Amino acid sequence: MQAENINYIRFTIVSPEYVRKLSVAKIIVPDTYNDEGYPIDGGLVDQKLGVIDPGLKCKTCGGRSKTCPGHFGHIELVRPAIHPEFAKTIYMLLQSTCESCKRILLNDNEITSLSEKIRNFISNEEDYEYEDILESRMISKKTKNIKLCPHCNTKQRKIKLERPTFFSIDGIQLKSDEIRDWLSKIPDSDLKLLSIDPATTRPENFVLINLLIPPVNVRPSITLESGERSEDDLTHKLVDIIRINQRLEQDIDAGAPQIIIDDLWELLQYQVTTYFNNETIGVPVARHRSTRPLKTLAQRLKGKEGRLRYNLSGKRVNFSARTVISCDSTLSINQIGIPQKIAESLTVPVYATQWNIDYARKFIKSAQYPTALNHISKQGLRKRITDTNREDILSILAPGDIIERQLIDGDIVLFNRQPTLHRVSIMAHEVKVFPGRTFRLNSAATTPYNADFDGDEMNVHVPQSLEAQAEARYLMQPKDMILSARNGEPIMYLKEDELVGIYLLTQDTVEFSKQEASKILSSIGIYEFPEPNKKTGKFSGKALFSMILPRTMNFEYKSKNDEIVIKNGKITSSGVIGEKIVNEQLITSVFSQFGSQEAMDFITNASKISLITAYQFGISVGISDYYINGIMEEKDKIMHETEKKAHDLLENYKSGNLEPLPGYTMKESYNSTNIMELTMVRNIAANSMKKYLTPENDAYLMVLAKARGNIFNFVQTSMFLGQQAVRGKAPSRGYKKRILPYFRKSDENITSKGFVKSSYSDGLKLVEYYMHAMGARDSAMNKSLVTAVSGYMQRRLVNALQDIYVDQDLSVKDASGSLIQTQYGGDSLDPMYEKLQE
Amino acid sequence: MSEKSSNGKFNVQPGEAVGVIGAQSIGEPGTQFVLRVFHSAGVLSSVSTKGLPRLIELIDARKKPKTPSMTIYLDKSVSKSLDETKQILKKIEKVRVSDVVSTFSEDLEAKELVLSLDKEKMQLYQVTEKAIFNKLAKFQNILVSELADMRIKIKLKKLKVQKSASGRKKTKDGENEEQKKMSIKATRVAFVDLLNSIIFGVPNINKAVIKESESGELYIATSGSNLAEVINIEGVDKEKCYTNDPFEALAVYGIEAARNTIANEIKSVLDDENITVSFRHIGLLVDTMTFYGVIKSVGRKGIAGKKESVLARAAYEETVKHFTNAAVFGEKDMLKGVAENILIGKQVQVGTGRIKLMIKNSDLKKLKSKEDKA
Repeated sequence: MQAENINYIRFTIVSPEYVRKLSVAKIIVPDTYNDEGYPIDGGLVDQKLGVIDPGLKCKTCGGRSKTCPGHFGHIELVRPAIHPEFAKTIYMLLQSTCESCKRILLNDNEITSLSEKIRNFISNEEDYEYEDILESRMISKKTKNIKLCPHCNTKQRKIKLERPTFFSIDGIQLKSDEIRDWLSKIPDSDLKLLSIDPATTRPENFVLINLLIPPVNVRPSITLESGERSEDDLTHKLVDIIRINQRLEQDIDAGAPQIIIDDLWELLQYQVTTYFNNETIGVPVARHRSTRPLKTLAQRLKGKEGRLRYNLSGKRVNFSARTVISCDSTLSINQIGIPQKIAESLTVPVYATQWNIDYARKFIKSAQYPTALNHISKQGLRKRITDTNREDILSILAPGDIIERQLIDGDIVLFNRQPTLHRVSIMAHEVKVFPGRTFRLNSAATTPYNADFDGDEMNVHVPQSLEAQAEARYLMQPKDMILSARNGEPIMYLKEDELVGIYLLTQDTVEFSKQEASKILSSIGIYEFPEPNKKTGKFSGKALFSMILPRTMNFEYKSKNDEIVIKNGKITSSGVIGEKIVNEQLITSVFSQFGSQEAMDFITNASKISLITAYQFGISVGISDYYINGIMEEKDKIMHETEKKAHDLLENYKSGNLEPLPGYTMKESYNSTNIMELTMVRNIAANSMKKYLTPENDAYLMVLAKARGNIFNFVQTSMFLGQQAVRGKAPSRGYKKRILPYFRKSDENITSKGFVKSSYSDGLKLVEYYMHAMGARDSAMNKSLVTAVSGYMQRRLVNALQDIYVDQDLSVKDASGSLIQTQYGGDSLDPMYEKLQE
Repeated sequence: MSEKSSNGKFNVQPGEAVGVIGAQSIGEPGTQFVLRVFHSAGVLSSVSTKGLPRLIELIDARKKPKTPSMTIYLDKSVSKSLDETKQILKKIEKVRVSDVVSTFSEDLEAKELVLSLDKEKMQLYQVTEKAIFNKLAKFQNILVSELADMRIKIKLKKLKVQKSASGRKKTKDGENEEQKKMSIKATRVAFVDLLNSIIFGVPNINKAVIKESESGELYIATSGSNLAEVINIEGVDKEKCYTNDPFEALAVYGIEAARNTIANEIKSVLDDENITVSFRHIGLLVDTMTFYGVIKSVGRKGIAGKKESVLARAAYEETVKHFTNAAVFGEKDMLKGVAENILIGKQVQVGTGRIKLMIKNSDLKKLKSKEDKA
C-alpha cells in the first residue's frame, strides 16, 4: 500500500523528443465526440488516451475505464510558444549571454573563479540548493549592464521583457523561434555557471514546439441529466489551442501575409499561456461561455482547494463516522459511547490465521449484531456476506483471508474534533456500544478536544491495520494524555458539578450516615467502609474521598490558601479540598507516583463520587440567589463615591493640580486615570459584595467551588454592569466631543464615558444599553478576527517546524539532518513530565 | 521522585516529533488571546504591542517592530543615585533646540533667526553653548554665527518654494506677491522645523523614564531603541542592557543574544496572557529560527519557504513558483520530511515511523524452515 520504492523525485523539463516518446497519439482534431457520441480519432478524447466511458476499451492498453491509467498524447505546434512560467528564467538567460556568440557575459577570470566556487559548493552540499538560485540571479544582475561581450566583442543591445511573454531587443520584437534558437546555442559549460544543470534542463525547452496532452482521466467530461456532455476546462482550452494551431498552419501554407500570421501566432501564445496559468499577470483571463474563469493547470494545483492541499496532503477516508456528542459521566475518560447504528456499519478487519480462525468463524455464523459484513479472500476478492452465502463463505474461510466484522465493545477507535489545533484533538478511545444516536464521552475528556455539548459534532475513525491499532492503544489513549505536552499540567480534570460535589463532600463539618455513605461508595464500586468517626459513628466526607486515593499514597502540599496532607491514602489535613488541589496537585501527584492508569481511575472515581454527593445535597440556582438584602444601599454608596472621585479628579485636572503620569500629557493622564478608576469600581464592588454572600447561596457556592461563574456575575446582576470597553478603552468615537447626541458636549458625567450604573436585574437604560452593545460588538469582532489570524499563525508555525524530531542520541534534527539542538531543551526532558521533576 | 531523573523515564522518546508538538503548543493557545483581552479591558497599560500582534511580529522576524523599547541597566555605582541616573537619562533623552532656548526673534523677510539660549535649561540638560553651536553648524541649509550674550544667529541659505497648489493663471504681479507670501510661509515652517529638531540625545529613542527595580536599583525604560549607541554611554551597564528588537541584539551582541531576545519576548507575551508554555517549545522555535546564524522568519520567506524539499514548499505556499524553479534548477526531492511523505503516500519519518525492524538473514531462514515443517 505504501510507495516505499520511491527514493527521490527529480524535477526536470521535458524535451520535445521526450514528449513524442511519451505520446501515444498525435492530436489533430479540435473536437471531442462525433455525432453518434463516439470519441473522434485524433481528437482530444481519442480512445488511445484512455477511456472514461464504462462501455469502451482503451486502444493503448486494452483496459476498461477503471483499470486504464490513461496515456499522454501530444500536439505539434506550428510555431513555438513560450512557456509563461519560465519567461523570467528566459529573461535571465538572455541577459546573461551574448546575443551573437551566446556565451556567458563573463570574462575568463570570472568564469574560473565562479566555477571554483560552484565546485566547492557541490562538494560540500552534494546538491543544488536554494542559494544557487540567488547566485544565478546575481550573475544576471551583473551581466545586465555589460555592454561588450568579452568573448567576441559584440556590442550588447538592451533586452526587455514585457509581461508575460513578449521579448524585445532594442525595441525590436524577439520572436519565440529566435529565442529558442538563441537558448539552444548556449553552451552546456556556461549553463553550469548559471547553476542550471544541462542534463536536466536545456533552456531551449522553455520554448515549446510541442505540447503534452494529459490523458482523459485527468480531464473527464461529465454527462448532464439532459444527456448533454460537458467537457472539462482543460479540454476546452486544448480545443482552443488546436484550433488556432490549425488555422496558423493553413495560413502559413496558403502564404498569408506576415501580419496575419503574427496575429495568429500571438493568439496561439495567448492560448498556451492561459493553458498553463489562467492567472498570469498582464493577460486577460480566459473564460468559459458562462463567463466563469477557466481553471487551468496552475489553478488545479494551487491553494487550499488545489491538488496539493486538498487531495494529497489531506484525503477523504472510509471507516469513519460523525455525529453529535453528549455527556456520560458513567464512562471512563478512556471510553467512548458509540451508537448501535454506527457500530453496525463500521468494520474492523480480522486477519484470519490458524490461531484465530474460530474467532473469525463466530462472526460469520452470527446473523445478528456482532457479525461479519465482508469477506476478502487471499487474492483480494471482496464479497459481501449475506444470509444466502453465509454457509459458503464459512466453508471456504482459510488462514490468510480477511473478514470485516462490526465494531464491538473493547475495539479501539480514534476520536477527533475540529479544529484539530493540537495533538490531543485526536485520541484513541475504547468502544462501548450504546443505544441512541450520539457519541458519548466523559466530561473530563472534553478539555483536550475543546468540546462542549451544545450541539458539537465529532468524528470517529477505525484504525484498520494491527500496527495502527497497537499504536493507538499504546500511544494515543486519553489516560496517557492527562498531562499536557504544552506545559506538563493536567488537561483532563474535574469541572462544573463535580467541583461543587468535591467542595461539599470534603467540608470539615460534613458527615454521612452508614446508609448515605454506602450509597456514595457503591457508586464507584467500593463495598467497604472507611473508619467511622469514633464519637458519632458517622463517616466524614474526607474519609469517603480518601477511599478513591491509592492506598499507599503519601502527599503533602501547602500554599497560601490551600493545604493538604495525605498519609497512607488518607487525608489528614483539615479544610476543603478546592479546585486547585484536586485538579493540579492530586492528579499530578497520583500520576507521578502511580502512573497513568491510576490517574485516570482517580479522575473517573472522583467525578462519580462528587456527582453523587452533589445530587445528595441538591444544588439549584435561581434569580432569588441574586436578590441580596442590603446590596442596594451598598450600591448607592459605591456609586456616590465613584461620582465623587470622578468629580474630584475633574476639579484637579481643571485646576492643573493633577500630577501627570510619567511620559504623558495632562489630558492623557486625566483620561486614563479616570477610566482606570471607573474600571476598578468593579473590584471595589466585588469586595463589598463578598461580605453579603454565604455558601448557603448556591450560586455563590458554585463560585467558591470554582465550578462556574465569578463574583463579577453577582456584581453585574445585582449592582451594576460597570465600565464598558471598546478596543480596550472607553467608548470614544461618535459625535464631536460626545459619544451620543443624548449627551451635552464635553460632558464629564460617568455615564457619558460608558459607565453602566444599572444591573442586569434592574434592566439597562437606553444609553447604557447602547454602550453595552458597543462593548459586546467589539468583543464579537475581536473574537472572529483573532481566530482567523491565529489560525494562520499556527499553520505557519507547524509548517516551519514539522520536520523536527529527536534523534537516537536525544539531539534535535530537521529533515535535512541539520542539527538544531545538541540535546532537546538542554536536558532532554519531555515537557509533558517536566512538572513531575520537582 | 528520585528514580526518574536518573533512569531517563521522563526523557523525550527518540523520534518524537518535537517540532510539531512545539508549534502546536505555541499556536493552540492563540485562540485564547481573544477573551482575555476583553476581560482586562479598560486597564490602560504602557503603550507597547502585546498579545497576538506582537507574537506574530516576533515569529515573522519583522525588521522594524512597531514599538521598540529598551531597558537600560546602569553600573552599580550609578544605579543607586537618582541624580546620576538623571544625568544619564539626559544623555539618552532627546533635546530639541526649543528646549534650550529662552526666547527667539525672527526676521522672516531676511530669513534670519536669533536664538537666546537659556542658561538654566542648558544646565538642566548638561549642555554648553559651544556644543549647541557645533551641533547647529552641522545642519544643512543654514549659516550659523555666534553672537554675544549667549545668542546664536541663524540665516537660511536657500528655500524650497512650494508651487502654489491651485492651477489658476495669475498676473505677473500676483504671482510675485504669491511667491513672496509663499516664501515667508516657508521660512516660518523652516524655523519651526529648526526649533523642533533634535540636537542631543540618542537617535530613535523617543521617551525615557526612570524606574526602580524591586531590589531598589534604578534603571531607565525607553520607548524607541538604539542599542548600539546606548551601550557607549558611560555609566550604562553594557552587559545587561536590553532591547526588545532582536535585530538590534543581533547587530550588537550577536546571534545568541538575538535568540534569547526573541525567546524572552515570546515568553513575556505569553506570560502577559497567563498562558503557560514550557520553555522547551519556545526554545526549539527560536533555535530553529536562528541556528543558521541569521534570524529566519517562520513563513514562506523564512524557514518554511527555504526547506530542502520541493514538495513541502509547494504544498505550503506559492506552489507554481516552487515547481517551476525546481524544474529549472533540476532539484531533487529526497523525501525526508513530513509533508512530502504524506503527499506521496509514504510513512512519515518521525515518531514510530522512524523505527524499522531488522532481522538477521540466518534467523529468517530458520523461521522459514520452521514454517515449512508446520
